Amino acid sequence: MGKVLNLAPVSRIEGHAKIAIHLDDTGNVEDAFMHIQSLRGFEKFIEGRPAEEVPRIVNRICGICPWMHHTASNKAVDGAFGVTPTATGHKLRELLQVMAHINDKILHFFFLAAPDFVLGPDADYSVRNVIGVVKAAPELATKVVQMRQLGQMMIERFAGKAIHPIAAVVGGFSKPLLESERQAMIKDTQTLLDFAEYTLDFAKNNVFNKYLEVIKQLGVIKTGFLGTIDKNDKSFRIFDGDLRLMKADGTFTDFKTEDYLDYLGEHTEPWCFGKMPYAKSWGEGFDMNLDAPKGIYRSNTLARINVCDHISTPKANAALEEFRSVFGRPAQQTLLYHYARLIELIYACERTLELLNWDGITDTNVRAEVTPGAGRGVGVVEAPRGTLIHDYTTDENGCITKANLIVGTTHNIAPMNMSVKQSAIALIKDGKYDQGILNQVEMAVRAYDP
Amino acid sequence: MSGEKVLLNTEWLCDCGGCHIALVDLHEKILNVLESVEIQKCPVLTDIKEYPEAEIGILTGSIRTEHDRHAALEMRKKCKTIIAFGTCAVYGGLHGAGLAHSREELVDCVYKNSKTTKTDFVPSERIDALSHEVTPIDEVIDVDLYLPGCPPHAHFIFESLTTLIEKKKPETNQETVCGRCRRVMKKTDVTEIKDPLEGVPDEHTCFLSQGYICLGSATLDRCLAPCPNHGVACSGCAGPSMQILTEPTRDIRTEVADRMSRLTNIPAEKVKQRIESSAKTHYAYAMATKMVGNKPTFLIQKWIADVEAQ
Repeated sequence: MGKVLNLAPVSRIEGHAKIAIHLDDTGNVEDAFMHIQSLRGFEKFIEGRPAEEVPRIVNRICGICPWMHHTASNKAVDGAFGVTPTATGHKLRELLQVMAHINDKILHFFFLAAPDFVLGPDADYSVRNVIGVVKAAPELATKVVQMRQLGQMMIERFAGKAIHPIAAVVGGFSKPLLESERQAMIKDTQTLLDFAEYTLDFAKNNVFNKYLEVIKQLGVIKTGFLGTIDKNDKSFRIFDGDLRLMKADGTFTDFKTEDYLDYLGEHTEPWCFGKMPYAKSWGEGFDMNLDAPKGIYRSNTLARINVCDHISTPKANAALEEFRSVFGRPAQQTLLYHYARLIELIYACERTLELLNWDGITDTNVRAEVTPGAGRGVGVVEAPRGTLIHDYTTDENGCITKANLIVGTTHNIAPMNMSVKQSAIALIKDGKYDQGILNQVEMAVRAYDP
Repeated sequence: MSGEKVLLNTEWLCDCGGCHIALVDLHEKILNVLESVEIQKCPVLTDIKEYPEAEIGILTGSIRTEHDRHAALEMRKKCKTIIAFGTCAVYGGLHGAGLAHSREELVDCVYKNSKTTKTDFVPSERIDALSHEVTPIDEVIDVDLYLPGCPPHAHFIFESLTTLIEKKKPETNQETVCGRCRRVMKKTDVTEIKDPLEGVPDEHTCFLSQGYICLGSATLDRCLAPCPNHGVACSGCAGPSMQILTEPTRDIRTEVADRMSRLTNIPAEKVKQRIESSAKTHYAYAMATKMVGNKPTFLIQKWIADVEAQ
């Protein structure tokens, strides 16, 4: 009888999970699991509520990416009520969501992931954290804290709440953007764009080049990818567009967001509360076998970078071209999620500036008239952690009768399990392991930013 | 150096993680805090998996599984002062809808009656089962201090941490959200309650005066009133005001109905009925706490049944 190594909780991630590595009698890995231990049941308890209230209730699914739930939910209710938001309301929603992406990426890269690279995967666990980074690189740490503050305060000043927002409403947005606010935001975003470029350079020099061998091995699996692309030029999008489901060989199918039921299904394992989405349309079922996975695709940064034809903003596109020239398309190395995240950081800053410079952004016509009623709406956006789907049906009073949610992180639950198993098998041999090795197994999860 | 610092543990139970982000969002002030505080266990920031001894323990989230219960008990054992941090820890939070839905209803909806899932079982192997209902943490452990808010605003977090570090008595501002709202209350001749989507509310006038239901007057201020100050009525996410908590017969709906009827020509009874008819929304954040759930006037199951019977 072998033994089970429990890593609980998985730390420096943004959710609740534990890893169990099962060793056989010889101390080699028999199997490994990542258990998601939390379930709240939002799909049920939003039933019966007036749909227009739901966009500020479902925020609470995730305190890390509440803006994406807020915008996806508003889009779903728009759809159910048959309302088209005003042009400015639509763009203000995108602006705030893209701004929220900026802060999220700074948080993940520096606060959660960086300790593994700045201090090293084998650094003592008691200092391998952002506080250790503050001590090791105080100037960088202060800069990071200032940049995140700049981003969060930009949102809070204009939209009231950065965490659990309220400012997007069915039909558009609750308030217009003043010219003075726009000018201040342009200035702040320019500062953030400079920092984003600095960050990518820093990471290329200090992380990606230095850890190239680790990147080639740790948690590497071969899967398909899901992400959002522009309806017309098939470029990178995080707020709206069509979905693209790509196979591991790079071939793909594009589809309308409202048709997601034809392409995606959710598998359930008895040891995990989180459901595991898979590519139903491939017709091969679901299997997490490392050598011959079936139906498995990934979402989140690496997936979006892989599926898009190009990126519409110049600096991010240059970074994408450089990335592809080194790692190809689709890139499969799990730790490249970090690299892709920083390309997205540059895009988010550039896109924020584009939106702020759009003539209509300060227009006061921010909200379309809305009449609650019966219908169905599917709202899809790209959350930092993956494609986020809210699907609501309403009755004639405009109350929710049925809700189906596929939350960003869940797309990656099966792939994370595979990466955990792959890294555990590669790193743990004949009963030999230490805290540095176990941390590397966690690093395979951390890359996905669950 | 670290020997002189105040030792801090944090732990999250069943929650969204937003309260921990709110702690990070002390921004530059977090650097001040770090000068006098040593963060030990903190699942989102550090790799310390066990529970070291600490002066201050921050618990976010509510109790939904055996894992949550165990974590709360361990924190209590190791921390001198426990802060119930955020609305979920204090009142059970949004997912504390136990009075409205049973555990079976929730899991059936997620696993058995879902558009994208075809499963005939509920996961239960090697993971802790869900408890029958969500409980706020003070039903399991003793709590020393309460800081509700969804999440609490950085202003209150910094204030409370500073007073604890300096070993002073924490301030307990008991104002409602109205205290920080810039809108002006005025008597109007409005006779009908408006739906949230009806018309565009005037940005300078109190929502209640205009006929829109707003829970600001029934909600404790731990947020600095961002919603009414940015065009949206308060939904009560920081939980009920002190008056509601301490007076057995006062309630969210009686409080709002009183004030709204005085500011408009809408009868109080009409406001009460409207709030009862969407009780799941208006009592969303605090129904799991006995302080609200056990009130003799709080009849949410009846209100929900009444709506379903219509």
